[in-house]
Amino acid sequence: MEIPYYPGCTLKVKATALEQSTVAAFAALNVSLKELPRWTCCGAVYPLMGTRIAGLAAPIRILREAKLMGSDTMVTACAFCFNVLKRANRDIAADPLCKRRINAYLADDVRVDEATNEKIMQWPEYAGEDDVKVLHLLELLRDRVGFGKLSAAVKKPLRGLRVAPYYGCTLLRPKEIALDDPEQPVIMHDLLRSLGAEPVDFPFLNECCASFLSLAKPETALRPSYQIVSSAEAEGAQVLAVTCPLCYYNMESRQSEIREQYPDFKGMPVFYFTELLALALGVSLDQAIGWKDHTVEVRGLLESVGLRDRDK
Amino acid sequence: MKRIGVFVCHCGINIAGTVDVQRVVDALSSYPGVVHAQDYIFVCSEPGQALIRETIKSKQLDSVVVAACSASLHEGTFRGVAKDAGLNPYQCEMANIREQCSWVHQEEKGLATQKAVRIVRSIVEAVRLNKDLQPIRVPVTRRAVVIGGGIAGIQAALDIADAGHEVLLVEKNPSIGGRMIQLSETFPTLDCSQCILTPKMVAVSRHPKIKVLTYHEVVDMSGYVGNFKVKLLKKPRYVKEGTCNLCNKCLDVCPVVVPSEFDAGLAWRKAIYLPFPQAVPSVYTLDERVCLGLDPLRCGKCSEVCAPKAIDYNMREEVFEVEAGAVVVATGFDLYPMSKLGEYGGEKYEDVISGLEFERILSASGPTKGQVRRPSDGKEPKEVVFIQCAGSRDPENHKPYCSKICCMYTAKHAMLYKHRVHDGNAHVFYIDVRTPGKDFEEFYQRAVEEDRVNYVRGKVSKVFKQGDKIVVWGADTLSGKKVEVKADLVVLALPLVPAAGAEELFKKLRLSTNKHGFLQEAHPKLRPVEHPNSGFYLAGVAQGPKDIPEAVAQASGAASKVAALFSGVELLREPTIAEVVDELCDGCAFCVDPCPVQAITLVEYIRDGELKKTVKVNEALCMGCGVCMATCPKKGIAVRNFTTDRFLSMVDAMLTD
Repeated sequence: MEIPYYPGCTLKVKATALEQSTVAAFAALNVSLKELPRWTCCGAVYPLMGTRIAGLAAPIRILREAKLMGSDTMVTACAFCFNVLKRANRDIAADPLCKRRINAYLADDVRVDEATNEKIMQWPEYAGEDDVKVLHLLELLRDRVGFGKLSAAVKKPLRGLRVAPYYGCTLLRPKEIALDDPEQPVIMHDLLRSLGAEPVDFPFLNECCASFLSLAKPETALRPSYQIVSSAEAEGAQVLAVTCPLCYYNMESRQSEIREQYPDFKGMPVFYFTELLALALGVSLDQAIGWKDHTVEVRGLLESVGLRDRDK
Repeated sequence: MKRIGVFVCHCGINIAGTVDVQRVVDALSSYPGVVHAQDYIFVCSEPGQALIRETIKSKQLDSVVVAACSASLHEGTFRGVAKDAGLNPYQCEMANIREQCSWVHQEEKGLATQKAVRIVRSIVEAVRLNKDLQPIRVPVTRRAVVIGGGIAGIQAALDIADAGHEVLLVEKNPSIGGRMIQLSETFPTLDCSQCILTPKMVAVSRHPKIKVLTYHEVVDMSGYVGNFKVKLLKKPRYVKEGTCNLCNKCLDVCPVVVPSEFDAGLAWRKAIYLPFPQAVPSVYTLDERVCLGLDPLRCGKCSEVCAPKAIDYNMREEVFEVEAGAVVVATGFDLYPMSKLGEYGGEKYEDVISGLEFERILSASGPTKGQVRRPSDGKEPKEVVFIQCAGSRDPENHKPYCSKICCMYTAKHAMLYKHRVHDGNAHVFYIDVRTPGKDFEEFYQRAVEEDRVNYVRGKVSKVFKQGDKIVVWGADTLSGKKVEVKADLVVLALPLVPAAGAEELFKKLRLSTNKHGFLQEAHPKLRPVEHPNSGFYLAGVAQGPKDIPEAVAQASGAASKVAALFSGVELLREPTIAEVVDELCDGCAFCVDPCPVQAITLVEYIRDGELKKTVKVNEALCMGCGVCMATCPKKGIAVRNFTTDRFLSMVDAMLTD
């Protein structure tokens, strides 16, 4: 299977653990993620202003690249990019005027033909989700690979690992673009089950982690993270699995700050779901785990469930 | 050629404000066959009617066209006028230039006038080909079938029977009583629901004119008003009524335990059971869905201990047909499924329960004998949260409509809870508190002021478990603050939805509903207890959410309609039904299968020494829908006065400039 892949900026800078594990895991699954030859930032937040042409230009330009690759699907690993791209994609499919204006705006783009080195200003019209569908990695696993097949491909089942799947907001809201039931999602539960782990249901699995508030009001933003992680712990989880770099930052990288504000906070290891996926598929620890992104010690826990590199 | 008169109504400015009625009159005056055309400000007024009467006589009119409103409003009026003046009523037709013209084209007056002219011309063509028809007289079976044995069905049955007519009260469950028998106390008087319902249940069972058919279902129906044939299925009870002496011995030995429907799943019952002590009829029922197999070799314990030998494993379903003149549909409601309220912990947490479950908890006959206990651990809840509109008034996710009774029963729940748990707190989250009923507002104020129920205006955002508490997060939209209640019990006011199985039943009876499955009325304001299909009457929540007094009033209204229908020995039916044109029909039988009421049969007879095939219409069954006409390739069958030729000349008149 070959599919255009949009990593997004964060995966190249802050969330290298997510990118590294994604590439390794899908290679192990024989799914070839073809990174778009040219891409920009998606804008990171969905434009809500009245005149959104400028805001929509970036995500639509990205999607047009996927169309140029001849695909009807594009996959992304980042929950924020997924949200922006899928919403923009829906918008222009639903609004002919908006579609026309975006295409007119993007018609001025210039690309260089690699073979002839000539400048090209010819672009196909891009029609939104009728042209290219946006898939999140989780959907790729559920709908294209299939959890049954995935389960058969697992080499090191995460047996005994109690994982709280944290969905966050951007994969589930607004519900028109949700990849699952926004109130009672199961997709990550099912994924974890197929990896041999034990998903731990907890009430805060779709509460907001405070998102960008951690930049504007860092102290205020600690409370939601504290509640989410504590709630997962109260339900008996050993680790938290997340999909989003910002959630990861709020709930992993800031755990020591949380503990300062809430002394009863115990904390727990947090993983990108792709790290767990890669581990279960038999990818080596060093390839699967982005060690430098883990501020909370995870090696002991991984060893306790039998995950250690043979050579170490 | 027929002498036709045309009367164009102004309807004040309803028509004349948009359509130039004078131009319509002028255009029609010169139309072939029209010997008289005039306008009048209100043709339906007594002087307007007199005008038509006089003109029919003075101009010797053969037919009349009244260009005014919809035929569904005033056709009867003007056909009556035609009849008074000596015409056959079917020589009068209405041209609808109001609903279908002036009201919808107010911005385009010139075009509206042109359209009105075309409409009237086409009706002139129609009436030109109208034949004199005589209404069909049919006998009335003066017996009513009431479907549903809740309070609405019970009241309708009692009122029809008291008027002297036979009633069959059909209930699918083992006992009558419906939802009302499950309730604790009723608002706004707080009298015990069972105490006021059981006398009516007894009255129904004793009434000489009422036959109570519990554990029966309607499986099919044919016929028409006055002459229905209703097919009923008697489900096997496996216990002989009259022989069972309610000794309860079977209960002690039955090994099967399942959730009790009567207790909304909060308590258990055996496979053989009496739904509740006051059940009518008072007889045990063996639930074949859960019984170990109705096979004495596998279990047979109940039969062994039954002294009067009332248990008969060989009972089988029986299907039989009854005749009836009218049907009252009172199939009631269910609650919207808890499982759909995942955001409020529905079906996830034991201590998040429905309003009906709380009724059982409060009820003196309930699993806790009226003591407030929560399901998970039997503890007395000290903090109770009631969530109103838990699914109602939520067009985005659940049901857009107001379920109407929840504001009042929630006030009642909170009040009864406070009466029983003096140190407890009751919190109610609401969007609005709607109390439009006699003594309702006072009742609600009592809950707030005397019983100190904490009303919070706002929606609940999240319900989750923390230890043994159910934490409820919400917004108080009056203070703008976030509210958190650590509750012991959460009660959801779920939407009322049509009873399970109602959709299927309504399909069998061909009864139209609104998009939420509630039965349609013949007119939402003026005929609220009748269904558009004549002979069907509506009572209770089957038609839409309502409380007990409203259900009772509607049931009595439906009963009075039935009594009026039964007041004569025969009914007049519209003669506009299908008629075979034998010369054109070659007996191809295309029309036989499509007929929705099986009114058409293929027949053969000898004509001029040769076998001739043709079809025959059963006048008693035909509804005049015209499906047969549409299937016939040879104009061999047509609804009277709705012939293909008539339609074609109407279309011609409509399209000719």
